[in-house]
Amino acid sequence: MQSEPLVLSKREKRKLAGEYPDLCLTCGTCAGGCPVTGVDGMDMRKAVRMALLGLDQELIDSRFPWICTLCARCEHGCPMSIDLLKMMRSARTHRERDKVPGVLHKGVVQCLKSGNNVGIPKEDYLFLLEDLGVELAEELPGFRVPVDDKGARILVTINSKEPFAEPEDMFFWWKIFYAAKESWTTTSENWEGVNWGLFTGDDESMKEVVRRIVEHYKSLECEYLLLPE
Amino acid sequence: MSVHDLLKEYIETGRIKLDKSKHPELTTYHDPCNYGRKSERTFGHGYYEEPRWIVQQCVENFVDTYPTKVNNYCCGAGGGAWAMPYAEERIYYGRVKVKQIKDTGAEMLIAPCHNCRDQIMKSLRQEYDMMDLEVKYLWELVADSLVIEGVDE
Repeated sequence: MQSEPLVLSKREKRKLAGEYPDLCLTCGTCAGGCPVTGVDGMDMRKAVRMALLGLDQELIDSRFPWICTLCARCEHGCPMSIDLLKMMRSARTHRERDKVPGVLHKGVVQCLKSGNNVGIPKEDYLFLLEDLGVELAEELPGFRVPVDDKGARILVTINSKEPFAEPEDMFFWWKIFYAAKESWTTTSENWEGVNWGLFTGDDESMKEVVRRIVEHYKSLECEYLLLPE
Repeated sequence: MSVHDLLKEYIETGRIKLDKSKHPELTTYHDPCNYGRKSERTFGHGYYEEPRWIVQQCVENFVDTYPTKVNNYCCGAGGGAWAMPYAEERIYYGRVKVKQIKDTGAEMLIAPCHNCRDQIMKSLRQEYDMMDLEVKYLWELVADSLVIEGVDE
């Protein structure tokens, strides 16, 4: 516990980018409507006070920015329109990468390296798509999974959870495309649609994953991009 | 293009045909934060009406949650919480969503988000004694309602 008074002027400049926290009226609307108010003795109103008082590092080191699901109900209700999500996500950004909770940062690193969050090799992925395509064709005559089809109307990304653990859940969209006689395609590389940099506050990695998708979109000359997340 | 825009386009233009008699059970819908509040804030449009319309093309009986749309509650697994080690807090968070769902009396819940669907189907159902609730993706509901020419006729 802190025994000496906190000397605010000696603390480094505020890191957290929450916009206009000094406008906070301390009304508590944010905290009052939040399901995790009270966890770790924290709530959104306290987080704003911390940012305002220069307790940036304390907030960054706390679990609260990660217990908060960035759902934006508080921000929607805030009478002063304070950018609360930006502040919380920015606290995540400032967390050292090896201290990001759970598998999220590992997934980001894996995605940058292999093109998907769980590291499924290209050959395995293509084998799986073909195998599942043959299975579905028994029910839907002529069905196949289009991969890297140039000129397809819709480019579709894949949630790596599905090829990894729930492959038959990909059938739902495939059946709809078949019924609609849609011209669509997935890609053989960098097909991941789940961008975990959004959650870890990692803008650079997030941009790179998006850049790869846009690159496919342009080179395959697709008209629409669909991220079924 | 949003999944909602595409599914709506397919249904409105008759590119897919649906049979709502396949789903007579009372059904409700969960608003994911990303398609609702955050889409509204970021892109100027929150997807509230479209998914409800799509669901109602697939089911005979629909009931909304309270509160709803922009004021709806998060499932508790947003922001990457599904992949974080704070399971106890995630489940505690979900209690509010659970009450909303139970209050509707619905037998089926539709979610157009992987995180929300997993949280409700794989965690909250077990933790809060609602295993009788069926949980589907929005596109799963549509796929299960399809009448495919030459296959089903």
